[in-house]
Amino acid sequence: MKKDRLLAKWLNNDLSKDELAEFETSPDFEKYQRIKNYTAHLTIDDLDENAMLSNILKQKKVAGKVISFDKKWMLRIAAVLVLALGITFALQFFTPETQTAGFGEKTTCTLPDNSEVVLNSGSEIKYKKWNWNNDRKLELKGEAYFRVSKGKRFEVHTQLGKVTVLGTQFDVKARNKRFDVVCYEGRVKVNYKHTQIVLTHGQSVSFENEKQVNINVNSLKPEWIDNEISFHQENIRSILDEVERQYNITIELNTKDTTSLFTGKLPSKDLVVALQIISTTYNLKAKKVSRNKIIFDEK
Amino acid sequence: MPTKNQSNTYDEIIFSTFFKGHIKALRNFLFYKFGNLDHAEDVAQEAFVKLWQNCSSVPLEKAKSYVYTIANNSSLNKIAHQKVVLKYEKNFKGLDKTNESPEYLLEEKQFQAKLLKAIENLNEKQRVAFLMHRIDEKKYSEIAIELNISVKAVEKRIHLALLSLRKEIDL
Repeated sequence: MKKDRLLAKWLNNDLSKDELAEFETSPDFEKYQRIKNYTAHLTIDDLDENAMLSNILKQKKVAGKVISFDKKWMLRIAAVLVLALGITFALQFFTPETQTAGFGEKTTCTLPDNSEVVLNSGSEIKYKKWNWNNDRKLELKGEAYFRVSKGKRFEVHTQLGKVTVLGTQFDVKARNKRFDVVCYEGRVKVNYKHTQIVLTHGQSVSFENEKQVNINVNSLKPEWIDNEISFHQENIRSILDEVERQYNITIELNTKDTTSLFTGKLPSKDLVVALQIISTTYNLKAKKVSRNKIIFDEK
Repeated sequence: MPTKNQSNTYDEIIFSTFFKGHIKALRNFLFYKFGNLDHAEDVAQEAFVKLWQNCSSVPLEKAKSYVYTIANNSSLNKIAHQKVVLKYEKNFKGLDKTNESPEYLLEEKQFQAKLLKAIENLNEKQRVAFLMHRIDEKKYSEIAIELNISVKAVEKRIHLALLSLRKEIDL
């Protein structure tokens, strides 16, 4: 028992028998007992509760419930508006933005930090506007050319690999099994499965079925931007795939020789010339069966 | 508008019950604190007016601390402290009702006056806790909640109150 609360315990009849017996022997006990008894008979003037209550209930009518009711509704409406605005804003910010270029077209788009992306035919990028400046990450399907503004790390994710940069110009192509990265300015880090390499300007790398090919590039931007398609040691099927995308047509190939590789450029706005180049190179004959379909036969 | 009227009377019933359960204790509490009975009543009424006007936004379980907080806030600044003048119940003459000898009656009167004086002279915190227990017959735990302190602190205040009352009467 704490000495500094003893009197309080006693006043509240909380003492045990022993404690009480001990306290009763103290010389001041009688005085405390008298204080306890007398203060039990203290009182204060009574209060006219009913008068005060009706006074208060009257107050309400003066203060006007109608106003508070209206205010409540105004508040509710305001809250709903704020909420709706907030949701719209959040949706705009948090849902991923998608840009696509259909077959036979190219799309140029600007990212929130003014970086520029040119999408080649049949390509798509997806990114989030939210917190873009701190988390520059986008998903690419197909091929695109990037002019990246200076800033934090910029990442391009494809199904085949990842390209990381800090402000530079580069081209990424991820089609079927082939992954191409060309760096035109600055430095680019490329991750493909377990390999990681760094490209500086004028270098490019291609991966196809685990095989790595390094090439030096002389041009300052991808050829497809200027309506040319450039190939480096690619097989005929992937060349025809690219032609299909550029001209938005379908091509059928009736030949057994699909392994010989092609290096060179094809125009992307002149189908007749492009078909001619392919026919001569591979010794084939092109036949136009309808507006959108070409068949290559062996000569 | 029948629904509005209905909820109005419903509110009134709940409010009135709550009011009757707490108004006196609140008024007394303010009185112990500041000494002026009229002022204590005004402030207590003001607090309940605010509760009534806002009763749609104050849940019943919060209502008690709501009125105590308002009462505390509104009285803290404007009140010049006065002595807490108490009195005994009308028919209270002392404990020994059979003894009517003049010596006893005189001593009795003197003791009663001394005790009231001693209570007036208590410091505010001790007096408030002590009178809440003696007059309003509140439990220490209730006092602790209303003063927003621990039960131990209440017990210390009451212990000190008794101690200084006894000393002052001895003088």
